[in-house]
Amino acid sequence: MDKSSQTEEQAARWLLKKDAPNWSESDQQALNEWLESSTANTVAFVRLEAAWQQTRRLKAFRAGTAKGSVPSPDDWQFSPFFDERQTGMEPVTDGAPAPGATPARQRVGLYRTLAAATLVLGLIVGTTWYFWPAGPTYQTPVGGTESVPMSDGSNVTLNTNTKIQVALTETERAIQLDRGEAFFEVAKDPHRPFIVSAGRKRVVAVGTKFSVEREGDEVRVVVSEGTVRIEDATASRAAHSVHLFGAGASKAGTPRLPEGESQATGGESLAGEGVVLSAGSVARAQGDSVLVQEKPLPEVEEDLSWRNGYLIFHDVPLAEAVAEFNRYNVRKIKIDDSAVASIKVSGRFRSTNFEAFVRLLEDGFAIRAQTTGDQIVLSRR
Amino acid sequence: MDEPLNAWFVREVLAHEGALVRYLARTWPNRDEVPDLRQEIYVRVYEAARKVRPTYPKSFLFTTARHLISDRARHARVVSIEAAGDLDVLNVLVDEVSPERRLDGRQELKRVAHAFRLLPPRCREVVWLRRVDEMSQKEVAKRLGISVKTVECHLVKGMRLVADALFGPDEQAGPRSVIANESEHGQEQSD
Repeated sequence: MDKSSQTEEQAARWLLKKDAPNWSESDQQALNEWLESSTANTVAFVRLEAAWQQTRRLKAFRAGTAKGSVPSPDDWQFSPFFDERQTGMEPVTDGAPAPGATPARQRVGLYRTLAAATLVLGLIVGTTWYFWPAGPTYQTPVGGTESVPMSDGSNVTLNTNTKIQVALTETERAIQLDRGEAFFEVAKDPHRPFIVSAGRKRVVAVGTKFSVEREGDEVRVVVSEGTVRIEDATASRAAHSVHLFGAGASKAGTPRLPEGESQATGGESLAGEGVVLSAGSVARAQGDSVLVQEKPLPEVEEDLSWRNGYLIFHDVPLAEAVAEFNRYNVRKIKIDDSAVASIKVSGRFRSTNFEAFVRLLEDGFAIRAQTTGDQIVLSRR
Repeated sequence: MDEPLNAWFVREVLAHEGALVRYLARTWPNRDEVPDLRQEIYVRVYEAARKVRPTYPKSFLFTTARHLISDRARHARVVSIEAAGDLDVLNVLVDEVSPERRLDGRQELKRVAHAFRLLPPRCREVVWLRRVDEMSQKEVAKRLGISVKTVECHLVKGMRLVADALFGPDEQAGPRSVIANESEHGQEQSD
């Protein structure tokens, strides 16, 4: 056995001993001595302890099984935890047993019932869009980013201060962006469109990569791969149900709204078809208008650099750069002078390291930064 | 023990164990030595962090790995040529902090369940009874008709395998299979 293996073995034995009921004061002292005798011991112990603590989460699977009987791991593949589609439960955040879970043997049956239930739910959603099915909610704090894989193979990356609700049904994959910004890598599934709702706008995709940002009224969409369609949420409520029933029932008619009907919904540029965006498009939608800007793909990738924790600026007014930083930080930067606000800046910064940004501003420009409470005020020097 | 340091270490360093082990396995000619290297790298990172936490933990981890490998290579006088070329690429790439490993509760549960599923059957049973049903080692031994000592062996093995599966690379890489083999023997004799 190699050295690290021996250390790990010893660490494991300490951990077991510590978990046992008759752990005493002098045992703790002996453990401390062992830990302090070498960093290798400490590191091995910390690592195993972190992993071992995680195994308590397995309790989530216990629900329904008798104490002392170990369920076959194969029974779990039907566990409601593993597919958002079958459940309206919140993501599990601790080891608490699932409420109302049933014995393993009955789970297959439960799975089918749930699947049927979601199908019905899907239909209801189609007709009355307002009732969002209670799917899992994910959110990030200011300065946080989080990547969330979904059961259909898609992946969502949440930017700072973002909240989304996910509802995957048999007929569609619906994401509601309550606030913030998220980047979507959509797994191809022509039968289940991927729909992101942001306020009054919806962005529809089949298999592509794009981000949607919501700020007040404005919805900003950046497409880095494939195409998406941006449309009015009000116009599409009808279109949505057409789509839903289009597959099965013949009386559903064409999956698109006739021109007249879309006018009736009150939309103008966004009515009916909406605007199709291809890779390299950056669209800003506000009210009924959409402004589309075509950008070279590398620039689009830079717009999405927040996924790696960076902000990249090319010759943008300082006011714009500061607004970006303020999205990621609780302490806000304020500009006190219009001349300062219009200074052009470029560079690559870590989004949460605004101190470095401010320091560079002070060094590079005639700018003074003053901290008052939660604010950093920039003014001319 | 310094609790915040340990939590930091788990979150910022162990989270990259998969990438680290893959890197070591690719760079170092002798796979059996990967667990030792990993351990040594962790020790260096932990000791440095005790004084000052590095601003970019992932970069720091890989820089440490690179230094250790060149130190060792100088002594051993064997290192694959491929490894040398790899370093530059790595140098650029590691600075990116991807949110990939920041897992939420559901994903963590998934990962734990996956790790648990990979355990050998007997070991899995013992871990379940101890951790989920919270039986004492004695009770577990009685229930399964094995000695307390064997229960302990299974738990030790289970702990190490779960840690490798949780932190380590996703595919069956070197160090994990080493432990698996080692533990599949040795075990039943002690019954």
